[in-house]
Order: sequence, then structure tokens, then C-alpha cells
Amino acid sequence: MAISISVTVNGKTYNHEVEPRMLLVHYLRDVLRLTGTHVGCDTSGCGACTVVVNGRAVKSCTMLAAQADGAEITTIEGLASNGDLHPLQEGFREEHGLQCGFCTPGMIMTAWQILQDNPNPSEEEIRHGLEGNLCRCTGYQNIVKAIQYAAKKIG
Amino acid sequence: MKNIDAALHTRGESQYVSDLPKPAGLLYAAVFASPVAHGEIVNIDLKKARQHSGVIAIFTARDIPGENQIGPLIPDEPLLADSMVHYIGQPVAIVVAVSPEAARKAVKSIQMEVKELEVIVDPRAAFQKGEIIGSPRTFELGDVDSTWDVCDVIVEGKCEVGGQEHVYLETQAVRAIPTEAGTMTLYSSTQSPHAVQRTVAKILGIPSHRITVDVKRLGGGFGGKEDQATPWACLAALAAWHLQKPVELVLNRHEDILMTGKRHPYSSDFKIGLKKDGTILAYEVRHYQNAGASADLSPAILERTLFHSTNAYFIPNARIFAVSCRTNLPPFTAFRGFGGPQGMFVMECAIAKAAEVLNIPREEIQRKNLLKEGDEFPYGQKAEAARAEVTWDKAVKTYDLSAIKQRIDKFNQTHFEVKKGYALMPICFGISFTATHLNQGSALVHVYTDGSVSITTGGVEMGQGFSTKVVELAVKTLGISPERIRVESTNTTRIANMSPSAASATTDLCGGATIRAIEQILSRLKRFTAEQLSLEKPDEITIQNEQVLYQGKPTGWDWKELIQRAYMARVSLSAHDFWAPPGIYFDRTTEKGHPFNYHVYGTAIIEVTLDCLRGIYQIDSVHLVHDLGRPVNKLVDIGQIEGGLAQGLGWMTVEDLQFDEKGRLLSNALASYKLPEVYFTPEKIDITLLEKADNPRGPYGSKAVGEPPLMYGIGVYFALRYAMRAFAPDKDFPFQAPLTPERVLINLYGDTKSSSISVKPQSEEKEVQPVSGK
Repeated sequence: MAISISVTVNGKTYNHEVEPRMLLVHYLRDVLRLTGTHVGCDTSGCGACTVVVNGRAVKSCTMLAAQADGAEITTIEGLASNGDLHPLQEGFREEHGLQCGFCTPGMIMTAWQILQDNPNPSEEEIRHGLEGNLCRCTGYQNIVKAIQYAAKKIG
Repeated sequence: MKNIDAALHTRGESQYVSDLPKPAGLLYAAVFASPVAHGEIVNIDLKKARQHSGVIAIFTARDIPGENQIGPLIPDEPLLADSMVHYIGQPVAIVVAVSPEAARKAVKSIQMEVKELEVIVDPRAAFQKGEIIGSPRTFELGDVDSTWDVCDVIVEGKCEVGGQEHVYLETQAVRAIPTEAGTMTLYSSTQSPHAVQRTVAKILGIPSHRITVDVKRLGGGFGGKEDQATPWACLAALAAWHLQKPVELVLNRHEDILMTGKRHPYSSDFKIGLKKDGTILAYEVRHYQNAGASADLSPAILERTLFHSTNAYFIPNARIFAVSCRTNLPPFTAFRGFGGPQGMFVMECAIAKAAEVLNIPREEIQRKNLLKEGDEFPYGQKAEAARAEVTWDKAVKTYDLSAIKQRIDKFNQTHFEVKKGYALMPICFGISFTATHLNQGSALVHVYTDGSVSITTGGVEMGQGFSTKVVELAVKTLGISPERIRVESTNTTRIANMSPSAASATTDLCGGATIRAIEQILSRLKRFTAEQLSLEKPDEITIQNEQVLYQGKPTGWDWKELIQRAYMARVSLSAHDFWAPPGIYFDRTTEKGHPFNYHVYGTAIIEVTLDCLRGIYQIDSVHLVHDLGRPVNKLVDIGQIEGGLAQGLGWMTVEDLQFDEKGRLLSNALASYKLPEVYFTPEKIDITLLEKADNPRGPYGSKAVGEPPLMYGIGVYFALRYAMRAFAPDKDFPFQAPLTPERVLINLYGDTKSSSISVKPQSEEKEVQPVSGK
């Protein structure tokens, strides 16, 4: 039994029939072919799959596609506008907040939420916000700096 | 220069294996793995699994057309278990279906009957039973036996150090696509494309030239994809070969943790003899490496343990014994540091114990025994451009060690349940593959008629920033804009027989080859320019900012014009070149030689705060002085230092790899295996690079960076030990890492007479000898 869903992803509306058990991350990756959202652990432990659903950062491996019916979703592919990098994307580049790049999209989408909640976060607030995202390459210092860079730029 | 992939990474446009566009008819594979750690296979029942909807085929060992053998050093590892299983997680069968879910569902209904055999998880127990891999090895310097008598103090002890799960964020992944005439292309998340090519060819029983392996980038490797990306590639290739359809195999996190090898746990005994003033006269150590069920890279990793067992110290009389012990755990494998960290940890334990007995600060012994110019390592090489003392002294001065000590001791005097601790950690790490033949790198450079440049090397980009450094080297050599340069995927058709991207050596080897390939093209271009413009000295032609200069003055030609003219005049605009650093050798019969091109040095000072009621702790700061030579890209290299440090700190503290006596992995998910997260990292990290530190043996004077910084993390163990001793000065704590908060509490409040707080059985405190195998 398939379920009809209608979702708006990065400003574009899609209508699809999905299996009730299909996870949002698989819908984004396999149906819409938005592969910037990565699967790192399947169990909401790593945050590589983080996207923004109705204005909140969500781990898309722990949400069903069916639950996203009617939602507005932003994935990493939808963050830059008119080819210009979002200040967060710029921050990760400028501060070298990335190495292998696999956790980067999830980090950036979580960071988006941090700045949404508080445009001028303290380092402690940034760390608190990033607690659910894992990076094995960087040691996090530059990720924190990248978000500080973006906060400054936006602010 | 920023990371050249940054724009792609931050826009989510970088493609990892499972992001590649799906070819029509793509099938998905899942692996059935042994649920028992040791036994004889009586029967495998595939009937139920075959009936699952969506299942296309199931393959077992009998379906392998070539050789069922993937052991990289010793042929002791089948791709699929045939008659025996040797560890939980060992691949037995592969199910191919129309979706990953269908394949996994079918895997669950495979039934295997096994006659269970005795399970060994402890390396010392394995050693006693003669279950060893290769021969035990001993490095020796001076005369240890006759030195004990002249020592003022002799201290002995035992160390246990745990393994470490890689947790590369991208799990093992491969896509195998059959192509015409019995050929195949594999997109594999591997650090070693050539190993995948060679082994797939062997499994299929066909020549290597029929297999192409292509690698764009890895979502992390850390050694975990040096050799252990190979089995998954072979399995996907086997299925694709039989079905003549593209097959993808991506392990999920649980499967990846269960089925793949990790950093080796070691159990070691040490004996150290010193003069009263702290001068080390003799050191003897015996390392029992837990190799897991097959050799994998264990003997090579053991060798690096031997090389680094005296860390950054000169010890005139040393005997280092090490043996790989076969157990019924997944084959342990490469992990950043490659056995070096385990050897260095034991050395630091011996020094700590000696300092406690002599009642002097640990760093007094450390400083007194640091390597000096010309000092001999136990493997015969002499320290050249030794920077152990200079980095140490600079760290002590820059970060004001005496102020740190005063602050900490004052804090400890005024606080009862919370204690602070500090430790210094010098490192000395040899750069080169210890298997001399692997020290070769290749590059292929094309200049196209529009002036754009394409570079392929034998190196794999896995987050370490190799591609960025290649562009940096190319810009430096060519004198043109970085926008003109593209680093291609690593591909076995463009580069043959590449060594793995490992041993911190990729930039040295493949970057070195890139420089040479570019120089070939440049020398043709210069000759051509000299002829065309009637210039006498081609050597005095240079290219700067895209302009062709002669004796520093413009010739009127720019890069684009030069290339177009050269092409029309039929000058070759492509070059392949090779770099094999000279002077590296090692004789395994005498265990002496000159195995390393050079060494990387540095010193870290680590401070911690420990809550002695709860066992929890915070790493307050890490200050370090590191030797990068003349770095090619500081941003990338400092990123490597911070990342390596975080992994080293994690290994020593929270990353607790646990197996039970049945060989079951208990820490089998991110929920039960703690990874350093954003709060774990030190509140303050200061990195000072050694200045005016040239390195004529590295590209443009640079030094390798990848592995050495991990070993700074070892210091945190001793900082915590300092804090524990401040709280309980009368207790004698066992040397056992990782020092999790739980173990801190057991140390502080448990019975510490016996060190048997590990799940692993502890052997008797007696001399053990192998039953056979030498």
C-alpha cells in the first residue's frame, strides 16, 4: 500500500506515492536524487542526514517520508541562492570546517538551526547545538569557528 | 589555499560511492556473516532466503571462479568462509536483490549450522597455545642483560591498551559495473585502489588489466579502508560477474562495526632500568598484539610497534619483542599510527612508573632522555635533524610549564574532590612505509590545448587534503593559476600499481611524482621557447603568474600562448613520472637499516580536570609544538593536527572497544561506542609550528602530517593519572587504556591490586613461551 505525499523541497513541490515505511532520507536521496543528505549511521546517532523540515533541523533517517506530507523541506542543495554560497557554507570553507566532507551537509543544516534560534550564539551555545552531529576528521574546532564566521557575517 | 573541494562539500554536491547516479538495473547486495566466533560449518541453508521476494541470487564460497583468498600479506583469509568460521562477522554468503531492504531481509533467514570450537579472545592465551601469525620479532640495541646490574632502580609492569573503531562517517561502499569483453569497473571507497584491483582479479581468476578501480574521494578512511575495503569490493564484483548486472554493496553502520577490523588491542610487559637522576639505561618490552582471526596487515603493524617502542627517547640498551597473536575476533587492521601508538604508550607507562618510584616528575625523565642528533634507534638508523629537544623546550617555554604546574598544584591543594592533572607528550614518528617497496608514487599530468591542466596521481583523497596539496604543489611548480588545475579521480587505468594512501606518505610520494611530471613538461616547454625566441639559456626561462619570463623579464608570451604554440609545434604536453625516495632500506634478518626517509617530531602539554567522585573529566587544554618542516598548506595541515589529536584523545579515554569471552562485540553501535563529540574536545588547543624547520627530504621542504599528531593524545592518559594520584596518592593504578570515567572510578575506589577489570581474561604473571611457530 503506497501513500500519496506532497512535499515542497528547496522551493519545488513534489507529489509522489511512497511506501509507508520509506524514510525521509531515502525519499530525498533515492526518489528526488538529492544526494547531499548523507546516511552515516541509520540510527540518528551521527547527524549526517540532517535537513530542515518546517523550519526545524531534523535527522531525516528518523522520520518517515509519509510524516513529511505537506511539509516544507530545505536540504543542503537548497541553501545557496543564485549560486552564491550561504554564509554558513562560506564559513565552512574559509575556516576549514571540513575535511572528508561527509558530515558537512548535516553540520551546516544543524548550524542553520542554531543561527535561526539565536543569530548571535556564544561558543557554548554553538557546541550545545552541535551535540547531535559527529565529525571524525576535524576535532570540531574549525566547525565551531565556521559557525562563528557565519554568525558574524549575517549579523 | 582553501580546500579545493569546499564548495562541493558545502553545497552537498560532492559524490561519494552511493551518491553516484544509479545505472539501469542496479542490484543491491547484503552480507550474511558468521554469528559464531569459531567453528566448523556443518550446513548452510539458503532455501528460505532464496524464496524472499526481490532476491535475485545468493553466492557462497563455491561460486568463486578464481582463488578464494584475500590475505594481503599472508594467504590466510578467505573472501567467503568455506569450511570454517573464525570470528563473528566473517562473511559467509552474499545475497543480491532488487533493493537493499530485500537483500537484508533475506540475509536474516539464512541458517547456518556450526560445530562450535574453542574461542580465544586474549592475545596472551593465543600465544600460549602457539596461535601466532608469522614469527615473533626482536629489535635489540646495546646489551640489556648486563645493564640491569648497574641500574639504580628497575621497574616492571604490565600494560593493556584497547582497540579503536574507525567510524569513518561514510561506511564501506562499492559499486561494481560489468563492462564489455569480461571487464569490470569498480567505484570503491578504498584507500588502496590497486589492492582492490589485484584482489578482485584474483577472486575472479582474470588478469588485473580487466579490472578498473576508480576512486573520487572517501568519506574518511583513517586506515580502515587501507586493506579492508577490499572484501566488499570483491563481493560486489563476484555478484556482478555472475549476474552481468551492476551491483552495489554499502554496509550499514551496524554491519560495518560488526564485520570490519579496528585498531589492534595490545597487552605488553615492560622493564625499565634507570640511574637515580632519571637517565634510562635499559628498557625491555614484550608486546602481545591481538591480531584477530587472520593476518590482514598485522605483521606490518607489529613492525611499526617495534620501530616506535622507544618513542622520542634514546635508550642505549633496549630489547623489544613483539608477536602477532591469532584470536577469534575480526582481523584488526590499519588505523592512523599503524601500531606505533601502542608501542609509544607502553614506553610512556614505563617512564610514568619509574617517575613514581623515583618520586620525581615524569617530565624530568622524559626530557633527560630525549633523542639527540646522531643517537641510534634500536633499528640501526641514526637521528638526523633531531627535533625532540627543540620542540620540547619550545613547548615548555612558549606555554610556560612551570606556571601550569604551579596553577595545577595550587588548585589541587585547595580542592578535594576535583583534581587537575597535566602531562607532556613528546612524539617521534618515522615517515615511510616500513615495507620499503611501497615507497613509490606516480603521477600523470596532461596539459590541454586551452591551457587547462589535469593531474592524476596514485593518491586517494579521503579528507586529509591531499588534492588541495597537489594543486598547491602544481601551482608552485608551474607558475599558473590554481583555477587551471584539476585533480582527477584515482584510477587504476591511469596509474598502475599504486601504493595505498597510507603511512602519512601520500603527499611525499605522489606529490613528489607530480612535481617531477610537471618538470618534465616544463623542460620541454622551456627548450621549445628557447628555440622559438632564440634564447640562449632555457634554464633561465620561468613562468610566473601565467607569464613566460626570460631572466626575469617578460618574453611577451603567456601560458596559453605558450601551450598553443607548443601543441602546434608537436611538443608533448603530457608526462607520467615517478618518485621513490632514495636511501631507504631495512634488513629483516638483522633487524637493522634505514627504514625512514625522515622523522616528525613534536611535544604536547595536556591539562585535565577530573571529578574524582563521578569519574568524569574535561580536557582543559592541549598546547603543542609541532614540526611540519615548511608546510605546503598550513590550513590543511593544522586541520590534520587537530583531527589526529582528537582521535588520539578519544582512543585513550572514551572510545572503549569491548568484546566478550565469546568473541561478541559489545560496543557494536554508535550508542554503545562513544565517539568524541563537540563537547569532548579540549576547551583550548594551541598549535605552534616549529619555525625555520626545513626538510630537504620532503616536497618543497615540507613534512608529512597525517599520523603523528594522533600520538599527542597519549598524553591525556598520564594527565588523568596525575589527577588520580593527586586524589589517591597511595594507590597504585594499573596501566590500562582507555581510561573511561567508569575505569577511573574502578581505579579510585576498586581493588586495584589485580588489574583484572577487563573483560579479557588476564594471564598469569609468568614468562610465557610459544608452543610452536618460531
